[in-house]
Order: sequence, then C-alpha cells, then structure tokens
Amino acid sequence: MEPINWHSVFFLLFALVGCGFSVAVLLTSNVVRMAFYLVLALAATSGLFFLAGADFVGAMQIMIYVGGTLVLLIFGVMLTARGPFISMRTPAGEWILGAIIGGSLLVVLLSAATSVRAWRPVAVAEGEARPTATRLGMALLGARVDKLEEPDPTQREGMSGYLLPFEIVSVHLLVVLVGSAYLARPKKRAVGSTAETV
Amino acid sequence: MDPVSTLPVLLGLAWLVPLASFTLIVLFGPRMGKAGIGAGYLATGAILTSAILSSFSLFFVWIPAYDMPEPSHPVAADSAHGGAHEAEVHDEAAHKEEHGDDDHGEQHAESSHGEHDGGHAHFDKPEIAGEWYTLGKFGSLRITIGYYIDSLTVMMFAMVTFIATCIHFYAIGYMHDELHDYVDHEVTLEDGQHLHRPGRFHRFFQYLSLFCFSMLGLVIAGNIAMVFVFWELVGICSYFLIGFYIERKSASNAANKAFIVNRVGDFGMIIGLMVIFATLGTFAFGDVDADGDGTPEPGIFSQVRSPENDYALVVPDGVIKAAAASEIAKGVEATPEQIQSWREDMEPGGVGRWAYWLMIIAGVGIFCGCVGKSAQFPLHVWLPDAMEGPTPVSALVHSATMVAAGVYLVGRFFPFFVPEVLLVIAIIGCITLFVAATIAITAVDIKRVLAYSTVSQLGYMMLALGVGGWSAGVFHLMTHAFFKSLLFMCSGSVIHAVHTNDMTHMGGLRKKMPWTAYTMLVGCLAIMGAGVPFTIGLSGHYSKDAILAQAMSFEAANPMLGWLFYVAAAGAAITAFYMFRLWFLTCAGEPRDKHRYDHAHESPKVMYVPLVILAVMAVIVGWSIYGTPVGIQKLLEQARPMGILTTAHGALLTDLVHPDEHLSHLEEFHVASTWYATLTGLAGLGLAIVFYGVRVLNPAEVANQFKRVYKFLVNKWYFDELYNVIFVKPVLLVSSRVADFDKKVIDGLIDTLAIGTRMIARLDDMIDRYFVDGLINAFAGWTYAVALWFRGAETGRLRQYVMFIVLGTVVLFILITFYLSAPLAPSLSTLEGRP
Amino acid sequence: MNLLTEPIGVSHYLIVGAIMFVTGALCMATKRNALGVLMGIELVLNGANVNFVAFGSEYLRPGAVSMGLDGQLIALFVIVLAAAEAAVALAIVLNFYNNHSSVDVDKADELKG
Repeated sequence: MEPINWHSVFFLLFALVGCGFSVAVLLTSNVVRMAFYLVLALAATSGLFFLAGADFVGAMQIMIYVGGTLVLLIFGVMLTARGPFISMRTPAGEWILGAIIGGSLLVVLLSAATSVRAWRPVAVAEGEARPTATRLGMALLGARVDKLEEPDPTQREGMSGYLLPFEIVSVHLLVVLVGSAYLARPKKRAVGSTAETV
Repeated sequence: MDPVSTLPVLLGLAWLVPLASFTLIVLFGPRMGKAGIGAGYLATGAILTSAILSSFSLFFVWIPAYDMPEPSHPVAADSAHGGAHEAEVHDEAAHKEEHGDDDHGEQHAESSHGEHDGGHAHFDKPEIAGEWYTLGKFGSLRITIGYYIDSLTVMMFAMVTFIATCIHFYAIGYMHDELHDYVDHEVTLEDGQHLHRPGRFHRFFQYLSLFCFSMLGLVIAGNIAMVFVFWELVGICSYFLIGFYIERKSASNAANKAFIVNRVGDFGMIIGLMVIFATLGTFAFGDVDADGDGTPEPGIFSQVRSPENDYALVVPDGVIKAAAASEIAKGVEATPEQIQSWREDMEPGGVGRWAYWLMIIAGVGIFCGCVGKSAQFPLHVWLPDAMEGPTPVSALVHSATMVAAGVYLVGRFFPFFVPEVLLVIAIIGCITLFVAATIAITAVDIKRVLAYSTVSQLGYMMLALGVGGWSAGVFHLMTHAFFKSLLFMCSGSVIHAVHTNDMTHMGGLRKKMPWTAYTMLVGCLAIMGAGVPFTIGLSGHYSKDAILAQAMSFEAANPMLGWLFYVAAAGAAITAFYMFRLWFLTCAGEPRDKHRYDHAHESPKVMYVPLVILAVMAVIVGWSIYGTPVGIQKLLEQARPMGILTTAHGALLTDLVHPDEHLSHLEEFHVASTWYATLTGLAGLGLAIVFYGVRVLNPAEVANQFKRVYKFLVNKWYFDELYNVIFVKPVLLVSSRVADFDKKVIDGLIDTLAIGTRMIARLDDMIDRYFVDGLINAFAGWTYAVALWFRGAETGRLRQYVMFIVLGTVVLFILITFYLSAPLAPSLSTLEGRP
Repeated sequence: MNLLTEPIGVSHYLIVGAIMFVTGALCMATKRNALGVLMGIELVLNGANVNFVAFGSEYLRPGAVSMGLDGQLIALFVIVLAAAEAAVALAIVLNFYNNHSSVDVDKADELKG
C-alpha cells in the first residue's frame, strides 16, 4: 500500500467542500442560506489556492471575497429580505432546461479538463515552499523577479510587470466606490409610485 | 440765330421731351400724386415745353432766318395772262406727245409765267438735313436717326404740339373720372354687375406722350425708314388709345381693326420702301454728307429731281439700272449715254417703261401706307370705329397726329410721285370724300359724324395733292387740324355733359353750355369754309377754296377727269349740311331728352378754355401775321419741294396733265372756285336749316321716301359687310379648316404619340411597381420577418439570457472540438507542451 | 486509481473549477432573486479563478509550461474586480428594488423585444 498523500487528501477535502456547497447554493431557494453556503464554498476555494502554492492569493480570497464581497452581499440580502423574496421558487421546467444545458456544459468542460495529457498529475519533487507575496508585490510594482532568467529576450521584454493594470484597477475601484454610492443613494420618490411601495 | 445749328437742337428737344415724360410715367406713373394725377401734369408740361420750343423755332428762328418766296401771282398778272394760259394748256394737251417733260417745262415757264416761274425755279427751298445718330450700317444700307427740316416740318411741329397741348389740358378735365375707381357702365360682367376697375389716368397720359413723341418723330424724320418706324409707333399708340376701355368688347375690336387695317396699308408701304431702297440705294430724304468726304450724298429727292435736270422729275439712274438689270447682266455697259437711251425707250416692253412702272409701284406703295393711316377708301373703315377711344384721343388722332401722318407723308413724298400716281391719289381721295360725306349725313352718333367728316376732309386733302395742289392739300391739313380738334373737343364736352353719343337725345344744349355750343359753331363754320368771298374768311375758307381752285384747274386740263371737281364741290355742300345738322341737333332746338338735358352742365374751365383758344385759332389760322405777308400759305410756298411748280404730264397716260399749282390762282379758277365753294356751302347750310333749324321739312319723312338710299347710307355703303364677306368670312373659313386639320391630323398624331408614350409609361410603371419595387419590398419583408423571428428571442428575461450564454458556450466548444480541431491543432499541441 | 495516494494534477483543479463554474452559471440561470444571481456570478468568477491559480501553480505543473506568477496576478485582479462588480451590482439591485419594490429579476423585462 502506498503512503497516503496528504496533499491529495486535503485537496480532496477542500474540493468536496467547495463543490458541495456550490451545489448547495444552487439547490437551495432560501437566499439567506445561499449566502451562507457561498461563504463556505469560497472559503474552501481559498484552501485549494493554498494547496496550489498561491498563498497570497488564498489570503486575498479570504480577505476580499469572504470578508468584503460576501459581507456586501449579505447586506444586500438583509436590506431586501422581506417575506416573499427570501425564497422564490423557480418553475420546474426551467430547472430541467437548466440541468440539461448545464450538464452538457459540465460534460464538455470535464472532458476538456481530463483529455489533455499535460494537465495530468505529475510527481512533484519535495522542496521548500516559497512564499509568493514579495514576488507578487514586486510584479505589481513593475518588476518581475521570477522571470529574470527568461532566455528569450522578446519574451523578457513583455514581462515587465503589472504596474499599469494595477493603477487602472485602483482608479477603477475609486470610480466604483463613487458610482455605487451615487446609484444607491435615497431618491426622492415620484408621487405616482408612492402607492406602490409596500 | 443760325437755324442750321439751332433748329436740330430745338426741334430735337421738342421731340424728345414727350418721350421723357412717357418714360417717367411708365416708371413712376401710379405714384405721381393722388391717383397718378401728377402724370397728367407731367405729360401736359412736357407737351407744353415742346409747344414752346416749336413755336420759338417757328417764329424766332425760322421766319427771321429765311426769305419768303416772291408773291406768286399778283391778281393783275392773273387776269392779264389768263387767256394765254388757257390756250397754252389746251395747246399742250394737244401736243403732249411731241413734247417731253423738260421741254414742256421750259416752254411753259417762258410763255406763261416768265420771270415768276423762273424766279421760283431758282428760289432755293431752305432745308436742313442731317443725322443725329447712326443706328446701324449694313453694306450700303444705313439706318440712321436723322432730320429733315424745312418750313413744313417746323409748321407741323408748331401745329402738332399746339393742338396736343390744348388736348392735354382738356384731357385733364375730361379724364377726371379715371382718377378714382372707375365703374364702366358699358361693360356688364357675367354676374350682371358693371365692371369696377382702378382708374387709369396715368396710363392715358403715358400713351398720349408716346403718341406725341411718335408723331413728332415722324415729322422730323430725315429718312423714310425712320418715318416707317415712327409710323408704326403712331399705329401702336392709336391701338393703345382706341382700346383704352379695353374691357369693352367694341373698344378692343375697334383697336384691333385699326391696327389690322393699318397693317394692310403698311404692307404696300413696305413694298414701296423696298423698291426705293433697291433702286435708289438710300432712305434719306435730303442730301446728307454721311461718309464725311465733304460732298453730300444725294437723297431720294435729289435723285428724282436733280438740280442738273432743273428739278424736273426724271426717272433716276438707279431705277433705270434696276429695270435694265437683264441688259446689264448681258454685258451692256451702263454708261450715262446708255442710261439716257434706256430712259427714252418708252415703247411697250422698253426699259424706260419698266423703270417708269417701278416708279409707279414705289409711289403707289408708299401711298398705300398713307391710305391705311389716313383712312382713305378702301381702308377707311377703321376710323369711325376708332371713336371707341376717349374723346381727347379722337381729337388727337383725327386732327394732328395719326391721320395727319398719311397726308403729311404724301406731301413730304410729293416730289417722288409721277403723275399717274398722283392720279391714283386724286381718285382715291375723291371717292373717299364723297363716300364719307354721304355716310356722315345719316349718322346719329355725334362722334361718328365727326369721324366721317374727318375721313371726308382727308379725302379732300388727298384729292388736292393728287390733282397737283401741294400747298392746297397741306394747307387744308393745317387748318383742318385746328377746327377738327376743336369740333371733337366740343363733342367731347357735350358727351361729358349728357353722357351719351346719340344726337337724337340731345338738343338745345346751347342754353346750358354756351361756351361749348358757340365754339362748336365756329368749328362748323370753319369746316364749311365760311367767309366773305375775296375779303376775309375763316381758315377753312382759304384752304377749301385753294383745293377747289386746283381741282378746277385740273378739270380744265383734263376734261375727262372733271368729275373730280364736281364731286369735290358737291362734297362741300354735303359737308356744310352734315356739320350744321350736327350743330342743330346738338345745340339748337328743343331738348329731346329732358332728363339728360336737366343734368347737362357746362364743362370745367380746363376743358372750355382750350376750346376757346382753338376756336380763335380756327378762325385766324388762315390769315397772315398782321403787318407781314407771312402766313401758313407763304410758309408752305417756302416749303414747296423743288421742281413741282411746273405743269407735269403723264408718261404712260399721256393725256394726263397736272397743271402748275400757281395756275389755280388765275382769276378764272380762283373766282369761280370761290363762288362754287361759297354757294355750295351756303346750299348745304340752307338745307340743314330747312331740315333741322326751322324744321320746314321733316328729315324722317325724307328718309322714308328715299328708304333704300337712306338704308344704304346708314349701313355705311355696306363696306363692313362687304369686307366681312370678302375677307373676314373666307379667312374664318380657311382658319376653321386649318383648325380642323390641326385638331384632327396634327393633334391626332400628337395624341397617338401621347397614348403610345402613356402605354410605354404604364408598362414601365408595372415593371417598376411589381419587379423593382417587389424585389425591394420582398427584401424588406424578409428582413422584417427575420427581425420578427429574432424578436421572439429577445424576451427581456435575464435568466434566459444566461441560458443562451451557456448554450452558446457549449455550442462553441462543440464546434471547436469537432469542426475546428484541425486548424487549431498547432496551438493545441503548443498547449500540450513538451511530451 | 486511488485519490488518497496519487498526486494531484491540474486536471483535478480544472474539474473543481468546472463544477463551480457550471454551478454558478446554473445559479444565474435559475435564481429569481437578484442577489441569487449575483451569488451565481461570484461562483462563476471563483471557478475561473481556480483554473487560473491551477495553471499558474509551480507545484502542479513544474517547468516553463506553468504560467507562474501571471496566473496568480490575474486571479488577484479577478478578485478585486469581482469586489468592484459586487458593489456596483448591489447598488443596481438596491435601485431596482427602490423602483420596483421587488428583487425579482423576471420583473426586469423592459428590454423585451
């Protein structure tokens, strides 16, 4: 009997949790539960990231996604969670249609995922885990320390970091901040629509 | 003052001032004062300026500058030579074949009048000829604006402008109805209303100005082409003015008639012009140095009566050459000797005869124009109808301008006319005077009586000219202008007062309108030729005497043509009769229409003052200026064309003799004709008194007795009916045939073409509609259907869109996998990396 | 094939990513609640992120074929943009809720052709 590969065991655990709660999100019709299952699914995904060696991304997954985005979603749930909206049923026909289409997509994706030989598991040599935070930070500032040994000079030129996207994303976030505040601000309601408000 | 340099300027100015007035009124007429009354003042001022300039030219430039010719015939000389003359005339009549024209002229001058005639032959007629402007030059043809001024021109200027001035003043009063909106009671519209239209005061004066300009241009014209231009301008002006009340059918018909009848005459005139130009190569009257080489080119008159031939009428070289064109073409040299021999070749078929015929054709052609313009038989029919125009127009047309133009042109062209042409003129004039006078007896329209009277008097003038009485004819033109304009304006005044033309509705008006009535009486007396024989008389007395004397002289020379004289004498009686019939019916007796009589009133001052002035002129115009021998007759002697003061013989009608005009001053003619004139006049007057004055005889009964004659005269000798049958009906027939042809054949052709085109177009339309449009519509339909189909996909449901996205992804995957795997294989292998 | 003893490959991650992706897509397609749709979007993005991280992992695919840090960087951007998207989408949902007094996406059918 071969020794248990703990890496694989943890992967299996996180994958099952992630996929399971994803399916749970899909299957439940209660929006509050959906939010809760989504938290668990996303958290499990961050575990998968850690297992893939992406420690910084995994941390960001927990901080931004689970800590930020989902809190935001839950705010939304709480703001709109009135009786009729908490659980809204979907007609069965749509479920069936969705199942067919989604199943076919899943089949396609799975067949693609398993058919490429290069993506098959390979034995990885044991080694020191290298944290990625510094390298990512340098890359965001414009320096790719991981590509210094790139033999192809044309490829090396293109590896000059992500400073510009980083700036764009920063400004983008600012704009989103202002824009969402503008969109969600309380409006003076029209007289005609007052009666419709519950 | 030097007339040669001043007269062209003065008369040119007098000529152009009305044109300026016309232009201004055309441009600004309706804006001149209230309702355009300023136009009337402007036109009147313009013609007054012309009158002043013309009078100045006559009295202060012309008369002082030129000597009068010697007294023509002392009475003593007349009686002393009377017998000799008669004998000589008969002698000549018997021997005319042996004597040529020149030959005779010499003999005549020597034997009968001696130094007097010689004196006349050498009295150089003062004339000023020149050119202002050359319009164009085409080879030898020069179209110029020139002038030809002699005392006739100056006198005509003075006369025309004077009368026109009176008429202008009069018209300001007469046309005042036109100052505001005018209701034409003679025009009934379809809805039964009378026509309402804006007043046309300014338009009337605009045409009057143009009329005066045209007439003055005709008088001053220095060449026959220019005469023709202004001739036609006069015609068009009369057309405008006769048709002034254009809404009246009768007025527009009359205007058309005047214009068309004149065209008939003008056709002849154009033939004459062509002959003149083709043979003589010039249009100019006088000798003008046009090319500036110092020697004047001979004009028409110098060619016909050249000084070398002692001003005798000799067929000019040009005419001979034209007649001998076939000979010259054969190579015969046209040397002076050869031309002379041709000229004498008067045998039938000879060149000289042809040339003479050419002269006759040219002369009769020119006279044709005069027949039309001066309303001579057979083209007299337009003049009575022209009474449709406003009365001032009638006065102008009938005295000084339009109809005078014809007589003036005959007078102007007199040197050109060979005796045969003169005979034609005389006969036409004689017929005219008689026909018109008889019609005037029965007419009841006051203006028509005057119109026929005019025609008749014009006949007198033509007769006088035709029998060789140049100064008699032109003299009558002058005197007639005064009293005929007076009479017309009087009749206008009457019409203005009683609002009708019909004399049977008038009567007794002298109590209501004394000025008009008594000036009219003066006019009647003048036209009758009243006067104390051999002492003094009204203007008509002198001119009519002169005409009759010349006619008598002519009768003595040509016994076969004596009827000309008798008809003329009878005409004088008829003239007196119808004129006094007019006066009695209008002004004397009891009013026949009480209503109209009560409303009658004397005309305003602006109308009767010109009457008085003209009446005075009608009396005195035949007299000499007090203390001098200068009078119209003297001035006319001065203007007499060179060389016509001889006895002339016809070359074809060898019996024809035109006696020297001065012979008519011989006592035997002069005294006799004076008595004839006086007695016939008195006879006519007496008849009129018997019929209409004291009413011893009832005109209606007489008319009943001579029913057929009366009817014949009332219907104006059936001329209109005759022309209707001869000309109008055939023309209408032909034109209806032509119209039928047009309608059926030509229109049919075009209609067929049109139908064909329409069918093709319809086919085209079908193709367009069903094929081209169908294609486009089908395409649009497909697009629409596809869009409708796609529209169903656009459900607006968010979740369905997600489904579509997913489905699209799946399909994309499947496509890539099964159909695009080969093209994508290299990239896939890269993706797989190293094995 | 024993999952407990064999090493893990990219394929495994891809399978997890595919399941999450399909689940998210179906979530978007079947949830009537606008927030449920938003959650589906989060799941889809997450599934994609799993793929990116897997392709960029040095442990699963050693050597030059790995995307290296690029995969993680893109995943980072996706996370950030997902956060931004969530904020805007939530604002839209609240607006929609204000106007329609409902969070039912089936009511937002004004684009119906």
